[in-house]
Amino acid sequence: MLTDALGAMFSVLGDPSLLLLIFITTIGGVIIGALPGLGATTGAALLLPFTLTMDPVHAITVLTTIYVSATFAGSITAILINTPGTAAAAATCLDGYPLAQRGEAGRALGIAVVASTIGGIFSVVVLAIAAPLLARVAYEFRPPEYFALTIFGLAMLASISQGGAIRNLMGGVFGVWLATIGADATTGVERFMFGNYDLYEGLNFIPVLVGLFAISELLVQSTTLNQVFERISMKAVKLPTMADYRKIWKAVLRSCGIGTFIGILPAEGATVASMIGYSEAKRWSKTPEEFGKGAVEGVAGAEAANNAATGGAMVPTLVLGIPGSGTTAVILVGLLVHGLRPGPHLFTEQIEKVYAIFGAMFVANVMFFILGLFAAKLFARVTLVPRGMLWPVVLAFSVLGAYSLDQAMVDVYIALIFGVIGYLFRRFGFALAPVAIGLILGEMVETNLQNSLKMFDGQWWMIPMQPLAALFLVLAVLGISQPYILGYLSRRKAAQQQK
Amino acid sequence: MSINENQRLSSESEIGEAKKGVGWGDYIVPVVVFVFCAVVIAIAMTLEEAIPLIVGHSMQPRVFPIFLMAVIAVLNVALIFQIVRSPVSRRDWEPIQTWASAGLLLLFFLLAKYIDTLVALVIVMFMMSIVWGERRIWVAAILALGTTAFIFFSFDQILQVRFPRGLLTDAYYG
Repeated sequence: MLTDALGAMFSVLGDPSLLLLIFITTIGGVIIGALPGLGATTGAALLLPFTLTMDPVHAITVLTTIYVSATFAGSITAILINTPGTAAAAATCLDGYPLAQRGEAGRALGIAVVASTIGGIFSVVVLAIAAPLLARVAYEFRPPEYFALTIFGLAMLASISQGGAIRNLMGGVFGVWLATIGADATTGVERFMFGNYDLYEGLNFIPVLVGLFAISELLVQSTTLNQVFERISMKAVKLPTMADYRKIWKAVLRSCGIGTFIGILPAEGATVASMIGYSEAKRWSKTPEEFGKGAVEGVAGAEAANNAATGGAMVPTLVLGIPGSGTTAVILVGLLVHGLRPGPHLFTEQIEKVYAIFGAMFVANVMFFILGLFAAKLFARVTLVPRGMLWPVVLAFSVLGAYSLDQAMVDVYIALIFGVIGYLFRRFGFALAPVAIGLILGEMVETNLQNSLKMFDGQWWMIPMQPLAALFLVLAVLGISQPYILGYLSRRKAAQQQK
Repeated sequence: MSINENQRLSSESEIGEAKKGVGWGDYIVPVVVFVFCAVVIAIAMTLEEAIPLIVGHSMQPRVFPIFLMAVIAVLNVALIFQIVRSPVSRRDWEPIQTWASAGLLLLFFLLAKYIDTLVALVIVMFMMSIVWGERRIWVAAILALGTTAFIFFSFDQILQVRFPRGLLTDAYYG
């Protein structure tokens, strides 16, 4: 069985159509990632409707390729114009841009490409090994364990970097509530439909995600039209020298581990991973005073971590059906739309497809390495596209993308409404990934709670009596309190240092 | 600047310029959230009761949404404490382009509902290009017409997506 799986993984190399698809999608992903505002999540949400007529492996390959290539490409604008193309590249700005200001943009991009590729490939290897092992454990999960696990996933929203713990939790619970719209799965009682039978099966995920990520971003971009980017020119991307490798290898290895681990945690993602990867690179550096002024370890630490998180985030997505990040929430919707129900059964019933997806992710990492080295300068020019031309096109694709799934205009209206809701959320400091994750986990939370109550004849207190469920619930409490514990500890440390 | 400081600042300045001091924006959120929770709970209370299960006890369909709203309300109280302890933002109003863009989304809805989706797309894309600073009318027109035509034919021919009936689509589909 393992040989079959590995065979499926490397069958990608013998499928020219899939290789061509990965190549084209990598170009698209790098362009999307390089354009400020259009990140991996928005890109995946916009492209998801275009995958509807593809076979499942090709469709998920498109989405995962966008994920890994756009995550890397955020570093291009982070280094050249001090504006991260994706949130995950925010930490790359801190040292990438100072390097570029010193005339070393090519060196910074070379280090970013190499570190991202190593991080990405490392995480795919971990994904291929860890996911089937975790799936075996998950096979034993019953409704109480799944319920507790989803609570753990929601609790982890507290530590997503943007927004803050309370706002993130509120966003997550709001997302869960959105999932209650429609007919109740157990009883068929209509909830919050107001007589609109288009909502009988609940809100379609695609229009909600398109609205939240693409249309709200359009409105956000409209607030920054007067912003002028200062661009730094670059001759060519330079591969790191031996001296550079000696300087960065420890940071890269550390960030590979950090990024993959952070990615595996439900609801965490590349943004958190890159921040921690950067902080750890600084903490362990022999020259921490250089950080913020153009330290190559800073670029390597952040970039290896954010790409390592991509493979890690796919682990809970595929094995447990719990998205590891905003982008994997979109990928999870893609899996569902194509009839691949995430969970341990996926690893027994459709193992070849799963390993083909792993293989495609591996190849995508190699593709963006090649494209990053030879065409980063070209891709950097996409930031010159006037926003007055780019965003109307994004609106058109958003509208048609929302419409195409069920060919119902109500989905377009839902996308527009969630575009405005998403904008207002961001306007008042709420991140959108928790809402998306909550929406996707919503049905899972309620159904598993109902099934648990049925199992225990309505005795809810029996849920935390199950050992594994109790473990997840304890982890959930720690997840919620973690930002406050860390805040208290850092304040205490600062007070001690002042004394 | 530490990583946390950088994160905080980038988060604060994501939309609009943040200024120190308590502003209307800080308290409007908790108020809106409380009203939202109250409305949802009121609606949930009117949901019909499900027939009891033959085997095992579960919960009524109204219970879970009410529970969720209670959780949001508790978190909202915590949010108020957080705002009182550390007020962060007083933001400028949105620039005119944002209001115009939101208005164009509404215009799209109206045109798509009452005239034709494709016509709506062409008009709104054209107007959005102009609002967003494109000074060359012909570029905005070509962009709007070209993109809509490309999307229509690629969706119609390749993805087999049929567009809703309207002024243009009636003429095309017959």
